[in-house]
Amino acid sequence: MNLGRVLSIARKNLRVLKHDRRTVGFIVLMPLLMITIFGYAFGGEVQDIKVHIVDLDSAPSNESISARVISSIQSRDTLRIVALLDESAQQDGGDPVATSTGQVEDAEIWATIVFDVNFTADVTSRLSSGYGAPVPVQVIVDGTNPNIVQAIVVDLQKSIAAVLAGMGAVPVVTISVDYVYGEGASFIDFFAPGVMSLAAMLVTFMLSIVSFVRERGTATMDRLLTTPVTESEIVVGHAISYGLVALMQSIVIILTAVLLFQVQIVGNVLLVLFTIFLLGLGMLGVGMLLSSFARSEFQAVQFMPIILFPSILLAGVFWPIEAIPEFLRPVSYFIPMTYAVAGCRSVMIRGWGIGDVWMEITILALFACVTLASSTYGLKRRR
Amino acid sequence: MTMVKTRNGGRDTAGTSSAIVVNGLSKDFEGLVAVDNLNLRIGRGVLYGMIGPNGSGKTTAIKMLVGLLRPSAGEAHLLGERVPVRKATSRVGYMPQDMAIYTELTVHENLELFAGLYSMDRKGAGKRELELLKMIDMDERRDSLVSQLSGGMRHRVSLACALIHDPELVFLDEPTVGVDPELRSGFWKYFSDLKGRGKTIVMTTHYMDEAVRCDIVGMMRAGKLIAEGPPAELMKMAGVQDLESAFLGFARRSDA
Repeated sequence: MNLGRVLSIARKNLRVLKHDRRTVGFIVLMPLLMITIFGYAFGGEVQDIKVHIVDLDSAPSNESISARVISSIQSRDTLRIVALLDESAQQDGGDPVATSTGQVEDAEIWATIVFDVNFTADVTSRLSSGYGAPVPVQVIVDGTNPNIVQAIVVDLQKSIAAVLAGMGAVPVVTISVDYVYGEGASFIDFFAPGVMSLAAMLVTFMLSIVSFVRERGTATMDRLLTTPVTESEIVVGHAISYGLVALMQSIVIILTAVLLFQVQIVGNVLLVLFTIFLLGLGMLGVGMLLSSFARSEFQAVQFMPIILFPSILLAGVFWPIEAIPEFLRPVSYFIPMTYAVAGCRSVMIRGWGIGDVWMEITILALFACVTLASSTYGLKRRR
Repeated sequence: MTMVKTRNGGRDTAGTSSAIVVNGLSKDFEGLVAVDNLNLRIGRGVLYGMIGPNGSGKTTAIKMLVGLLRPSAGEAHLLGERVPVRKATSRVGYMPQDMAIYTELTVHENLELFAGLYSMDRKGAGKRELELLKMIDMDERRDSLVSQLSGGMRHRVSLACALIHDPELVFLDEPTVGVDPELRSGFWKYFSDLKGRGKTIVMTTHYMDEAVRCDIVGMMRAGKLIAEGPPAELMKMAGVQDLESAFLGFARRSDA
């Protein structure tokens, strides 16, 4: 292997990018956009869910427990009470529960929360006697979106718990959580490693497959092979140039994640970059390998979703591998992304070092070696 | 086949002093015979022209010689090395028919890439680049992107890339297509300079007026070499005044 020729190939690739501003813009902006959109979309809690509350509680307003629960709900942003109906609505001749349920059916609101006539009385007697059936609060809900149902129920429970605690009711069991890792970690801390790996994977795969398909189409690959440059020098030249691009892109993402979304990086940033670099090298090899199955750049782009979707869905980027049905889990373990995400996550959140993520690093390094070596072989076989 | 004995052809058999020795070279693409038992012996310092209609096997023959296609049968030696060889590649230049240069790069960047691949030192490469850019009359377009150049200009850049490392032996597949007559005569002056410095040139062409200027012309038809020799002698043997008629004459003879 001749370093001068390897660098000639690498410089050529970088120069092609230098003249192609739009692609450079894509490489830099695509991950920025990804992390920003994911950050804002997933980072926040569910807010402003429209609900009706029907408060039929007959207790006077200064004693009413339901009124206190309602004001607790109002103190947060999760639920937006569009209308608060009470027994006065009933006297107008309409049934407020039926009216409100109609609104749920029309999808004007997500839910109706109903407090019964004897709510305060039942709760008071249940508290003083210490036994009896639990007192119900009825929720009539549109279950189209399970996340919303979940948010409504949780917010309601929170409010009730707060009010009861204020009345001196002591919970029988409490859960005390001690964080080993990730105290204060938010959802964006969880998926930032995934977004970084995704972006690196996309860009290296795309650059290498399109570049190789183009070189074949314009016969420049043939011409290269009539010069002293060897197949492995071509592959290594590509790996160096596009690996560098992936590395720079990862730095941009890390900076954005830390500066804009306060993502925490407990471990060594260099180890994170190295992990992503290895994934990028492997995906470069995959791109070069698959390039021989694509006759045009258009066909090359068609490989993108095939590569992208399993990695997004099965590699633990946005939800844990434990959430994937058991029969699909073996597939996860064959996706290199899985190891990049797991490795980066352990370093960023748990602060682990190379000694703890050596297995992920080894698997990614092997993956890179195998794909790069096979693409070298693939080039040789063409002769 | 009609063979005319020449100064350079057919003298040595070892293949050491010849630039190219080809023995029984054949290529078939799944039953389609593109090159059929080709035998060639081209001496050093010779300007050899291959003529023949499209699909007669000229490009396939050249691709086998530069190592891009594996021959179905036969063997070839370039500069004493058996094809395909790594050792000789730095002394061989190749300009493919489809231009095969990077349209996303500038003229200079293309030339610098090929100079780098041939491990030329920076100073030598720069000097050589300047010389070639003058020859192809593109010294003012050095920093233009190839994609912004006309077809003829791209051809000239492709030629310069094939010659950047001053090869001893160069294969030019239709080097003058789309090049205007004035520049074409400039090319020919450069080719005779190269020849004068002992370089061997093998080119394919469709222009009979160019073929006449070659030392030796090989006429190809349906994968076979049907006649070979200096143009004047080929015309004399066929009893005609121009190469085109000579080609048609030999073609009829090969059918008979």
